[in-house]
Amino acid sequence: MADRRPKVVGFCCERHAMDSSIFSARSGRTYDTGLRIIRVPCSGRVDGMHILNALEEGADAVFVLGCLEKNCYYDTGSVEGRKRVEYVKSMLSEVGLEPERVEMFNVSSSMAWKFPEIVSRMTEVARRLGPIGSGGGDGR
Amino acid sequence: MKGRIQVVMCRLCSTGGGVLDVDALLRIASDAPNVGAAVVVDRLCDKATVASLAAQAKDKEVDRVLLLTCPKNEVSPFVYQTFVKKARINEFLIDSIDLNNEVVLPHRDDAQGAQAKAEGRLLSSISRMARLQPLERKTDEMRTKNVVVIGAGISGLEAAGQAAQRGLHTVILEKTGREVKAPGVVMPESKVVSMKGEAGNYVLTIEAGQKRENLECAAIVVATGGDWSDARGPLADKCRDAKPLYRLRQAVDEDRVPTGTVVIVDTPDPKGTRTKVQDYAWDEALDCAMDIKRKSPSTEVYLVFQEMRVSGMREIAYKEAADLAVRFIRYDRKNPPRLTAKDSGRLELTDLAQGEAVALPFDVLAYASIAANPDNVAIANALRIPLSPDGGVRRGSMQRGPVATPRPGIFVCGSAMFPKSESAARAEGRAAGIMAAQYAGAGKTEYGGSVAETDAEKCSACLTCVRTCPYEAPFIGAAGKAEIRLQMCQGCGMCVGICPSKAIDLHHYTDEQIAAETTTYLRGDF
Repeated sequence: MADRRPKVVGFCCERHAMDSSIFSARSGRTYDTGLRIIRVPCSGRVDGMHILNALEEGADAVFVLGCLEKNCYYDTGSVEGRKRVEYVKSMLSEVGLEPERVEMFNVSSSMAWKFPEIVSRMTEVARRLGPIGSGGGDGR
Repeated sequence: MKGRIQVVMCRLCSTGGGVLDVDALLRIASDAPNVGAAVVVDRLCDKATVASLAAQAKDKEVDRVLLLTCPKNEVSPFVYQTFVKKARINEFLIDSIDLNNEVVLPHRDDAQGAQAKAEGRLLSSISRMARLQPLERKTDEMRTKNVVVIGAGISGLEAAGQAAQRGLHTVILEKTGREVKAPGVVMPESKVVSMKGEAGNYVLTIEAGQKRENLECAAIVVATGGDWSDARGPLADKCRDAKPLYRLRQAVDEDRVPTGTVVIVDTPDPKGTRTKVQDYAWDEALDCAMDIKRKSPSTEVYLVFQEMRVSGMREIAYKEAADLAVRFIRYDRKNPPRLTAKDSGRLELTDLAQGEAVALPFDVLAYASIAANPDNVAIANALRIPLSPDGGVRRGSMQRGPVATPRPGIFVCGSAMFPKSESAARAEGRAAGIMAAQYAGAGKTEYGGSVAETDAEKCSACLTCVRTCPYEAPFIGAAGKAEIRLQMCQGCGMCVGICPSKAIDLHHYTDEQIAAETTTYLRGDF
């Protein structure tokens, strides 16, 4: 499809991650429309299945966004989330997909600037790698 | 009827001032499966509007409501309450999506994309909404309303005073035998041994003198405090005459004001080799510097620090200090200040603001050194709350409030967290006392709602959830399978994500619900 934008799914925790997205929107920052925010209570809730499901259903890149590890609302949630993401990354490279498609990030609710940065980074990855299985960028 | 949704769009909050095509959104909502009614209102948070919407919900026999409004925590509580009361809708089946901050504002230069995304967001929320189950909130009565304060120092006494003022019975545990004047009961020579029970109904085992006893309480305030210490570090070791800040302070108070150049460093160990976290004494350092300048204007005073964060309104004093010609130099921990040679009397550092190397000859070197209370370890173990790397009691995420620990009903204040000034300790003690009083004063704890639930069929009793949960909610029940103590569960879903047998699910965030939302959201081409 010619006008296909990269689709990025962001699993955002309801605490610092969602707050940072709201704060970034309110402070006038913009980012690519291809981002789909899926709200989860904590980045520790994200299961490898959710990430793989998103990739299967058409996402080009997926990121998980949690609280800073030392300021996590659920204490160890974002640490658990990262473990899960690392596992998925290793699984992706085993099956021959680019592990860069999946990343974990941490933000604090006051980091308004970081949210758009993360989105553009993942969008860039999605653009560069193109749709899954295409073996390269889609030229956009 | 099951799974019929009423979609309500608030023109004021969700259309971004005409950016989104509301009629198109409304059409999409009406055509979506499971939608019983879709309406646009000019302003949702208006009593008459909400009442009429609730009446419509009842009329159309919908059992769930999707609001397109402001962020969930900013919707007026009466909106939800009206739907619950007038239309008998389960409070967990009302959800709101925030198109303004999720779609309109971040994509304001791409109206077409924003419209497509808003439609995708709406459909994905509807598909998730249709899969939600009604949930229940439960309450437990508290057996007592006691507030236990550990430590009778500055912050502890303040906390106890505040709790007592609000009509709660306070018990202060003091480790020494010194006489303490405080409201409620003071137990001298006592310490905490262990704790049982769940939030709001804690049972402490304490050792008072030679006797062990159990103490029931609703809330606990940890106020173990800390004290100035003479502990030295690598920097202080290289300078024989370096002295702790409190000794400099004593000298200044006794009018033995040093002359020449005084350098106050925030820690005896700027590199963090022995103490992992620097000792914090911002207020004292600033006060002491200002006092020196007031008493002896010819003395040069430098404050060398990584971060200067005095408490609250004391920040106004920065200006005063600058007017008194106290010099502030900020450094980076990666490039910490060092002495050119042992006892050389010259401090070399890189000014973070200017990026320039500075060589600072000095006559007096003072460092702030406040050690964490060694009792913290035993107390944190007993209460099962985390410690910070420097031995202080760690508070929870700032979103829980600055004096809350991750465990509900347990608060921490004063130097128990990290060293701080008297006024800051008092302010925190007040805060912790009020928070504890509010928590205990409620008389009951609420739990349930979006919490985890186990499936005994699938559970293989591997203990992964038991080990992962920071709140001790999962346990192996009598049947040899994992169960969740609902009172403890905070609904984070960590155990759900990690369970290798997929035997746990989190209400409202089940795998199916998350997958449905993701799949629908990805369908749109934007």
